[in-house]
Amino acid sequence: MRTAAEVLFFVSPALALFLLFVVWPIVKAAQFSLYRWRGFGPLSDFVGLQNYSTVLHDEVFRGAFSHNLFIVVGSIVLQLPLGLAVALLLNRRIRGQGLLRTIVFVPYVLAEVIAAVVWLQLLQPEYGAVDSLLSGVGVPVPDQGWLGSPDRALWTVLIVLTWKYLGLAVLLFLAGLQGVPQDVVEAAEIDGASWWQVQRWITVPLLGPTVRIWVFLSMIGSLQCFDMVWVLTGGGPANSTTTMATFLVNEGTKRHNYGIAAAASVILFVVALFFALAYQLLVLRRDTKGAAR
Amino acid sequence: MKRSPIIPALALVAASVGLAACGSDDSTSADGKTVVTWWHNSNNDPGKSYYEQVAQDFEADHPDVDIKVEAMQHEDMLTKLDAAFQSGDAPDVYMERGGGELAEHVDAGLTKDLSESSADIIGKLGGSVAGWQVDDKTYALPFSVGVVGFWYSKSMMAQAGVTTMPTTWDEMDDTIAQVKAAGMEPLSVGAGDKWPAAHYWYYFAVRECSQDVLTDAVTSLDFSDDCFLRAGQDLEHLVGEEPFNKGFLSTGAQDGPSSASGLLATGKVAMELQGHWEPGVMQGLTDDGLGLGDDLGWFPFPTVEGGEGDPTAALGGGDAWAVSEGAPDAAVDFVDYLLSDEVQQGFAERDMGLPTNPAATGSVKDPALAGLIKVRDAAPYVQLYFDTAFGQSVGGAMNDEIALLFADQASPEDIVSATQDAADAEK
Amino acid sequence: MTDTLPDVTPPAPARPAPRRTTSVRGGGGSPLVYLGALVVVALTLGPVVYGVLGGFRSNAQLADSPAGLPDPWLLDNYRRVLTSPTFWRYALNSTVVAGLTTLLVVVFGLMAAYPLARYRFPGREALYSVFLVGLLFPATVAIIPLFILVSRDLQLGNTWWGVALPQAAFGLPMTVVILRPFLVAIPDELEEAALMDGASRIGFFFRVVVPLSAPATITVGVLAFVASWNAYLLPLLLLQGDMKTLPLGVADYSTQYSSDTAGVLAFTTLAMVPALVFFLAVQRRIVSGLQGAVKG
Repeated sequence: MRTAAEVLFFVSPALALFLLFVVWPIVKAAQFSLYRWRGFGPLSDFVGLQNYSTVLHDEVFRGAFSHNLFIVVGSIVLQLPLGLAVALLLNRRIRGQGLLRTIVFVPYVLAEVIAAVVWLQLLQPEYGAVDSLLSGVGVPVPDQGWLGSPDRALWTVLIVLTWKYLGLAVLLFLAGLQGVPQDVVEAAEIDGASWWQVQRWITVPLLGPTVRIWVFLSMIGSLQCFDMVWVLTGGGPANSTTTMATFLVNEGTKRHNYGIAAAASVILFVVALFFALAYQLLVLRRDTKGAAR
Repeated sequence: MKRSPIIPALALVAASVGLAACGSDDSTSADGKTVVTWWHNSNNDPGKSYYEQVAQDFEADHPDVDIKVEAMQHEDMLTKLDAAFQSGDAPDVYMERGGGELAEHVDAGLTKDLSESSADIIGKLGGSVAGWQVDDKTYALPFSVGVVGFWYSKSMMAQAGVTTMPTTWDEMDDTIAQVKAAGMEPLSVGAGDKWPAAHYWYYFAVRECSQDVLTDAVTSLDFSDDCFLRAGQDLEHLVGEEPFNKGFLSTGAQDGPSSASGLLATGKVAMELQGHWEPGVMQGLTDDGLGLGDDLGWFPFPTVEGGEGDPTAALGGGDAWAVSEGAPDAAVDFVDYLLSDEVQQGFAERDMGLPTNPAATGSVKDPALAGLIKVRDAAPYVQLYFDTAFGQSVGGAMNDEIALLFADQASPEDIVSATQDAADAEK
Repeated sequence: MTDTLPDVTPPAPARPAPRRTTSVRGGGGSPLVYLGALVVVALTLGPVVYGVLGGFRSNAQLADSPAGLPDPWLLDNYRRVLTSPTFWRYALNSTVVAGLTTLLVVVFGLMAAYPLARYRFPGREALYSVFLVGLLFPATVAIIPLFILVSRDLQLGNTWWGVALPQAAFGLPMTVVILRPFLVAIPDELEEAALMDGASRIGFFFRVVVPLSAPATITVGVLAFVASWNAYLLPLLLLQGDMKTLPLGVADYSTQYSSDTAGVLAFTTLAMVPALVFFLAVQRRIVSGLQGAVKG
């Protein structure tokens, strides 16, 4: 019983904080989702699951869901090879390595608001630095600007997100690389393996667990993507960059459909949970050797 | 986002600020004074300093009152007001934009009925309080009511050879072609913020629909009249002419030199459809603090051939000071003071808006604004911005769909049906 | 979409024709490596440098050549920001809020991770899962109920604690995830030795675990600090007037002085400096602190 008392002693402050500020608001959100509620006054207009059906049939929400998937896949496809390449590069003994590391982490440390403010300036159509540089080297720039063309805006957001979060991937991969036993690498080098071969057959495979953890974090982060999109495009133009999180904030703060916003937030949570559990089952469990297809 | 652009799509009202009346109704400060929190959105000079001065003057006359003023950026203010209403901790004096938004607040018992306590001032303001009445009771005192129209750069129009401003849409089409032929961009529109784009559709509807149809739509939420469809077709025709600035789909309304207002202020476009706060906004967007200065001109939204609306009717709206239910009586006195001849005259002299107190309408210095007051006072009726009139939910759906039409991704029919669907969900 | 992940084989970066000239141990710096490094640096720092240098230019310069260098260099923008009392007031708020958040996260996180790592008790994994689920929930989603809770129920609106407490709560899951494997890795012999010496498990925690976990603690502390320093939505709803934090100041400044792009860039640059310095100063420790967590 002493154990129980000790466990309680250690866990209760964190658990209390967590239950009060994370779990309780979530429970409240679930409650709101069953009502039609304008944001003030009593919760009285009970509508059951109607808000859920409204959200799931909403074209904009469906679009937002597919944009989230695009960001999930796009982030992994772009950041994984880039992040690995940079991490391996930083793991070599080259001059200025410390400085280089420092530089790679910079975007990750910046506030999203700040990064977005700077990128907005850079991406101004015609007058922005990006367009003047690209025009300078003869690359055609879109008339509506990168963030103003419905068919380009989501790609542009993805590029900015990649710029911002590559540092996180590198950070984790470097941490993983520290765990690669040096003697194995040395033995391989003595046997005449080239640097490439060492990376291909020893280092990268040993990074497996790190990569899998990173994919998990990146996936969850992409599903919850909000700040950057909100500041850069607000979900526009023509709803081409909405995400589930921008949809729900828009429904709540701008349209006062708090019941619908709450339903969307519960759906977002369920989607993230589903992804997390599926990933846990299919990938993180080493014994089930990955999904076949 | 200064002068409360009635940002339709947004939330409640706007207003001003207050530091922290955090929590509770702590309406007395440590030194025993009655505290009145006031949120407003004039977070740039001259407005910011003027309102600080106004609060100090009031405190000088009422030594037992402490006015806590907070100037906020407009959008932030809307967000915070929403949050404040939800948590039951609203500022004592705040901004109401009327229409459906106000009705929501009245239903929820958040706003004080000022009909009795401010009867004198209400009488003085006359018909302009209509937008802030629910069931014949007045819940807020409008301090600035304006109309939307085309702001333009005189020198650019002259350069394009446009000597007389268009009065019909056929003439407007020619004007747009002339400006384009002169190698300039005719119009800027902040479609990224949606509501500036929506103003076009609203105004076409004001031209196409009779007053009865519009009035009826606000109460019955029925958009089946053919005129709403025609409004969308007029807009589709305009968008097809490609008169707008490059990147208009992501252009902001009024923040920064690359916003729609910034493009006009810095001579990048010849015209912009915008509300009465435009001169004040543009002053904040140029280094010299003058905006376009004397180069700024204004003309009303042209008429549509065969439209059923009164050709001199206007689209507009305004801002009013409201008092929270539960605020101390001093808050009502303060709101009355804000609408007094003296404060309204100061407001007018600084070109902060279009004063509603008849004693102040002559004090507006800016000739463009003075012209606007004439248009406003001569209009048979001023249609409140639809998104404000219908409330956020319907208004937001409407604005989103109109913005999609600007991107060629929605038809005139889609605007009507999206609006109708949102309206039906309300019933 | 996850099907290629288990045995992922990333394409070799910008691979030249395979040259068999074996590089020196650890693969020194061939010109190609330096070129790659240079490209990474340019792309990474470009936007940041643009912001920093923009603060040294005038608005006219920015408008004339968006991508140019300062000419002449102007100190005015930075001087204006650094001499404004609001900037320092916001910086103080940011510092206090981030400090409180960090303190809560580190102390409570370490305490919670300890039994989850080193005790055997029924429901341990369930408890861990509860924290894990928190990872799936951004504060954005529950922002309205959270706002009502803080400002109405707790009466903590517009206070430092009102922002720090929820931020710490949302920072806990990540903290527990990072600390747990680290604590698992502390050798059992140490614990046995401590117990032989008559220390209780609680004594062992304070005397051995806390000092030993310094690297991991610094990692989670810095991550919590940076997250709080950069937070936007929650402070926006909860703080007004002179309680605002720097990111709110950036947003305010960029609308209040919206024609003054150079001033905005100067303010922005100064607002990001502290978090950058703090993070970069201990980045090596962060890398080693994360080591346990990414082992899977």
